[in-house]
Amino acid sequence: MRISEEAVFRWVVIVGIAAGSVIALTLLTQPLFGALWGLVLVCAGVAHGYRWLKSNS
Amino acid sequence: MESATVAVEHGHAEEHHGPPEANKSSRIDKQTLGILLFIVSEVMLFGAFFASYFFLRVVVDPPAWPPHPYELPVAVAGVNTAILVSSSFTIHYALESIRRGNRNGLKLGLILTWMLGLTFLFIQLNEYVHIGFSARDLAFGSIFYGLTGLHGAHVFVGLILLSFATIRAMRGHFGPNAEDHLGVEVPGIYWHFVDVMWIVVYTAVYIL
Repeated sequence: MRISEEAVFRWVVIVGIAAGSVIALTLLTQPLFGALWGLVLVCAGVAHGYRWLKSNS
Repeated sequence: MESATVAVEHGHAEEHHGPPEANKSSRIDKQTLGILLFIVSEVMLFGAFFASYFFLRVVVDPPAWPPHPYELPVAVAGVNTAILVSSSFTIHYALESIRRGNRNGLKLGLILTWMLGLTFLFIQLNEYVHIGFSARDLAFGSIFYGLTGLHGAHVFVGLILLSFATIRAMRGHFGPNAEDHLGVEVPGIYWHFVDVMWIVVYTAVYIL
């Protein structure tokens, strides 16, 4: 995939959905669970981003 | 033999005047590469602020966050988040429009994005006026204004970039080919970055 605004926009949507889930979990339970879930998502995002970059190089 | 080598070198030197030609990538143009490298440096800057923020939250570990009696306007900031997120959709619409040759869509998308960005900034400034604490109030106040102010400065820069793109769009500068609308694509990438950073700032500062 060519690196372009389209690809970056897709990441905006992904980050938005991920943040939405963190916000929902935090409001439903407590901040600690939201923070832990956010940490899991950040790790998953970094791993996915790394694989995405490797597949494009 | 030696004279032949000297002649070849002399001829070679005559072919090249000035600096050597820059290598061009078929995957990414130099403008997009430039903004991506800039964004990488900005991520590091935000990373430093987030490191300070989480140090205060986790290592210093105050009894309450935000410290008593301060309160953060979560709902107003939530509406502001929705405004900024929607501006990412409008800039994407502007770019999709110009890719299809729809100049009116480009103009509409850019103007909407600019207005949404300005609204976001206005609401944030209004929040600062009514929030009830300043950057001098504890480390909490400093890091709150540091993080949100840093982001606000980025929104301001993004608005300047969008102003240039909008003025150029009004003058009919852009076209459907990828190399003909880089003046919108590059600010668009920057705007998405600003949007993503706000989502992270809002979640970390206002919600967690």
